[in-house]
Amino acid sequence: MSDILLTDVINGLAALILLFAFVLVAGVRMGQIIRAFTLGSLALGLLAAAVAYYTKADNIYVVALLTIVVKVIIIPRFLNYTVDRIKVKKEVEPLVSIPGSLLICGALTFIAYYIASPIIAEGNSITKNCLAISLAVVLIGFFVIIARRKAMTEIVGLLMMENGLFLAAISLTYGMPMIVEIGIFFDVLVATIIMGVFAFKINHTFETVDTTLMRRLRD
Amino acid sequence: MDADLFFTLLTITGIAGAVSAVALRKKERVCATVSFGAAALSTLFGTFVAILVLTGSPMSIQLPFDTPFGHFGFALDRLGAFFLLVISVVSFAVSIYSIGYSKEYDGKYSIGLLGLLFNLFLLSMTFVVSASNAIFFLIVWEAMSLTSYLLVVYENRKEGVASSGLLYVVMTHLGTTLIMVALIMMGLYAHSYDFSAYSGVGVLMSSALKSTLFVLLFIGFGSKAGIIPLHVWLPYAHPAAPSNISALMSGVMVKTAIFMLIRTLFDFLGVTDTWWGLLVLMVASITALLGVMYALMETDIKRVLAYSTVENVGIILIGLGAAMVFESYNLDLLAGLALIATLLHVMNHAFFKTTLFMGAGSILFATHTKDMEKLGGLARRMKWTAILFFIGALSIAAIPPFNGFVSEWLIFQSLLQSYQIPDMMVKVLLPVVIAILALTGAIAAVCFVRLFGIVFLAKPRSEHAEQAKEVPKTMLVGSGIAALLCIVTGVFSFAIIPYVDQVTAPLVGASAASSIVNGFVISPTNDQFSTMSPFALVILIAIMVPLVILISKWYGGKRKTVVGDTWDCGTPLSARNQYTGTAYSNPLVRVFSYVYRPKPEVKTELTSSPYVKKKVSYAFVVVPVFEKYLYQPIATSMVTAARWISKIQAGSIQAYLAYIFITLVFLLIIFR
Amino acid sequence: MDQIYVDIVLSILQASFLLAIAPMVTGIIRKIKAYMQQRRGASIFQPYRDIAKYFHKDSVISRDTSWIFSITPYVSMAAVLIAALLVPVFVTRTLGFVGDLIVVVYLLGTVRFFTALAALDAGSAFGGMGSSREMMVSSIVEPTMLLSIFAMGLITGTTSLSSIASVLSISGINLVRPALFLASAAFLISTIAENARVPVDNPTTHLELTMIHEGMILEYSGKKLGLMELSSMTRLVLYFTILSNVFFPWGIANDLSAISIGAGLVTILVKVLFLALVIAVIESSISKLRLFRLPNLLTVSFILAVMAVMSFYIL
Repeated sequence: MSDILLTDVINGLAALILLFAFVLVAGVRMGQIIRAFTLGSLALGLLAAAVAYYTKADNIYVVALLTIVVKVIIIPRFLNYTVDRIKVKKEVEPLVSIPGSLLICGALTFIAYYIASPIIAEGNSITKNCLAISLAVVLIGFFVIIARRKAMTEIVGLLMMENGLFLAAISLTYGMPMIVEIGIFFDVLVATIIMGVFAFKINHTFETVDTTLMRRLRD
Repeated sequence: MDADLFFTLLTITGIAGAVSAVALRKKERVCATVSFGAAALSTLFGTFVAILVLTGSPMSIQLPFDTPFGHFGFALDRLGAFFLLVISVVSFAVSIYSIGYSKEYDGKYSIGLLGLLFNLFLLSMTFVVSASNAIFFLIVWEAMSLTSYLLVVYENRKEGVASSGLLYVVMTHLGTTLIMVALIMMGLYAHSYDFSAYSGVGVLMSSALKSTLFVLLFIGFGSKAGIIPLHVWLPYAHPAAPSNISALMSGVMVKTAIFMLIRTLFDFLGVTDTWWGLLVLMVASITALLGVMYALMETDIKRVLAYSTVENVGIILIGLGAAMVFESYNLDLLAGLALIATLLHVMNHAFFKTTLFMGAGSILFATHTKDMEKLGGLARRMKWTAILFFIGALSIAAIPPFNGFVSEWLIFQSLLQSYQIPDMMVKVLLPVVIAILALTGAIAAVCFVRLFGIVFLAKPRSEHAEQAKEVPKTMLVGSGIAALLCIVTGVFSFAIIPYVDQVTAPLVGASAASSIVNGFVISPTNDQFSTMSPFALVILIAIMVPLVILISKWYGGKRKTVVGDTWDCGTPLSARNQYTGTAYSNPLVRVFSYVYRPKPEVKTELTSSPYVKKKVSYAFVVVPVFEKYLYQPIATSMVTAARWISKIQAGSIQAYLAYIFITLVFLLIIFR
Repeated sequence: MDQIYVDIVLSILQASFLLAIAPMVTGIIRKIKAYMQQRRGASIFQPYRDIAKYFHKDSVISRDTSWIFSITPYVSMAAVLIAALLVPVFVTRTLGFVGDLIVVVYLLGTVRFFTALAALDAGSAFGGMGSSREMMVSSIVEPTMLLSIFAMGLITGTTSLSSIASVLSISGINLVRPALFLASAAFLISTIAENARVPVDNPTTHLELTMIHEGMILEYSGKKLGLMELSSMTRLVLYFTILSNVFFPWGIANDLSAISIGAGLVTILVKVLFLALVIAVIESSISKLRLFRLPNLLTVSFILAVMAVMSFYIL
């Protein structure tokens, strides 16, 4: 595969990652949100595989495989399982209305592009454009945590932030040392399991995972 | 026959009109005919002056006396002539209209006063665009504000008129102060107050000073034009004035502010910083969007039109901002394109807004109400007014091939050309501006479908509307002239653009007409990018519509058309079953509820028993954001500060003597 | 000078072609939906018979209407046909100098303007409701369409329809970028919204509460109804053509040889049928959205268009 075609593929996959981030923001039901996250992670894994093809480094192949296994199969299954167990009402009930949050995420993408443009201008690798997208995904993930009520959605937002950081790592330095990668994956897996258990427990105790109601705990 | 002569004739006829209005004030019809006729004649002379200057050389007249601020006089270059042409043509139509419209005030208010102020107002606007000296300009600017204020409060016994006038005069003086500061600063640097010396004065100033002056001028002239958040006077003052005056204020007076803005920025200061254009673009986009959104929820016809003026001023300033951005990058050809688009929209808006306001005046004349919730069915009762108003509505909603569409298309294309600019801020902002402009255009179409549909179509919603009759011929002629111009300037825009280009060429340094117009076709300086031909569109429409009619009448044979009732599911429909104006805009108000913050109010009137209700009324109140959150706090804090300071006025002689004593001792100590 | 005569003839041919296949495309969509609902459905040529039936009937006009009601069908049909003259169907030569993509969007906006007014003219609540909802939907869709046009203008360097088609089809794969796909996705959602298809509006509903487009033409009968129906079918096919030939024009004829034109014809038929299939599948799988959920969907398409423009710069 020529370099140009590879760059096009990587750019296309990066665009898909951003697209699925927006679909996640626009999601109204838990199922839609988890599905958007799954597809975005799949695109991320494929992008990592493309980078691995370019650098011909085996460890990145492993990383890509790990991404797909953990983030596309294990974590979404676990999230769906938790959602079923705690019987959360499927609707997501955002704090900021959906069109408004979509527009804000659009603005965040602009900002990410603006911030990243000096670095993009300098770089000459095949993944240089992905930095703006990774920054955008991190910001959007952060926004999802702020603007959504249900704890489950906030978990997915955190996972999306981690996706964005991973994309940044891949695009800037073609991945991090292997040990670090594996460590991060296990951390994410464990964190999700713990958060899932917590969500279950919270729901069991308070009959709800609506964080605005949980604010009353402060008093 | 040169321009000087016509200009003098213009002035003489105008003054004659003013004087005769006062002299003949007892005989109302004669007074109206003579004074407005004189105004029409005066504006006709104005048109001649403008055309002579546009096709020939600049005009200049000096007044025979000297003042400490230099020679006062009149000077018209091409830019001034263009605006004079717009002012004169529009005022001509309105003057004819006023002859019939003033019948409304027979016996109630003094027609002589109306005629006097009308002529003086027209003269002051003419002088504003032709003043040759900064101080003279300020004097006539003030005269224009004063005469328009007096005209706004003309119907002084009506509710709300006096307060509208007060708000107007306060806002316009705030603006005038800023303008005064800026003009005098420029005069100091130019060592003379003549506008001819001001040209290019910007190169003598430091960048910081130029930017400060830019901000002062933008706010000062912007408040007269009606940019957000300085627009609050517009929706009160324009509806309060008599309809012919509203037409002039909306159509022409706000344009004088745009005129001076173009002149000071392009000619005097010179545009070199990109952030100026970007600031103008951002403020203009917000103005356009908010203007049309507030227009959508008003039920008073004239307030809808007033907010629509705010929107169109926003669109004009978008064009101006684009021109400034291009100019700061020395892309002269594109700057010329954007400026031509701006000037075209200035002219087009003047034409269709006056058509609409004159139509609103006709509605008011025939039905004595401005509330759209009480109108309806006027298309069958006031046929000609409906057609003329419809032409205005089509133009303002940017329906091809009318004039509103041509200028909006040109503004879009000049924004699209921004891809040639390498700056990143521009690349990020321009799509946002394009999206906002598109949204504005779409909501403007909704607004005018609503206005025309609720007022003219279907059944009348009140007695007044049912008994409406067509208005006197002079009013129809006046509106007709403006409507005809809407059509002509749209279809023949390819012929007009070269003349407009001669106006913009000295300002941006390049003549864009040859690259924009090619035969009947208009393109944004680059044939390969896109082309449009309103003339060809008209030909296509003229062929296609009759073709469709013929084919549909031929195919299927001759069929009867039976007149029956509207489908009513068996229950007879009354006028109350129709959609109201509030209901029509309801979906959009709900979608944009963040901006509108609507509060529905339900009031119930009970009889003696709480179970039997006498009346339930539902009101849908929209919070006026700027007044509540910006002006009210400022006003309250100023009043509090004033009250606190007024404690000094203790009222006792001893206190005042004590103040003098303390100050005296203090000064003696300091200046020992 | 000959250029322009050839252009005129070609545009008339292309516009007539669109007009001719429009009812069939609607018939095909209905047939596919029927199959997905386990029915046989009416023949794909049924819409032709329906329109013929309308033209052969008398019409009833409400006594409250004015001249607007009477001229709207003619103006709608004329505007759609003029837009059809400007769009390249199987060859990249049209009367393109008359207007570019923005002009086409505004011409279709004219249809909406007049239809909305005619809906208010009868003085019934159905018309008012359909009219106000239609205006709400279309005002949110308009920025999306114009931004997609901007994105295409950035990619191909022109907004003139025939030029976009010829530039893209000649330069092949080089110009394909993510922006193209994003812009076409945004335009697809706009097509669904503007042509009153599920999930924005139900074109086969009989309940006034779920009507947008149907509510506006409720009062029409006889020849006028025939014209309104025909113009909305033609509008649908026009949007399909724009979607195919502006975003994915490969296969369109660039010269006047018989082979190219034949290939162009076949290509456009295939693309239009594919889009009809897509619309029919979407209509059968998704339910109509509640009215005030529509801004969610339409904002998604707006963001897609914004991303199309952004990705032109980023990627």
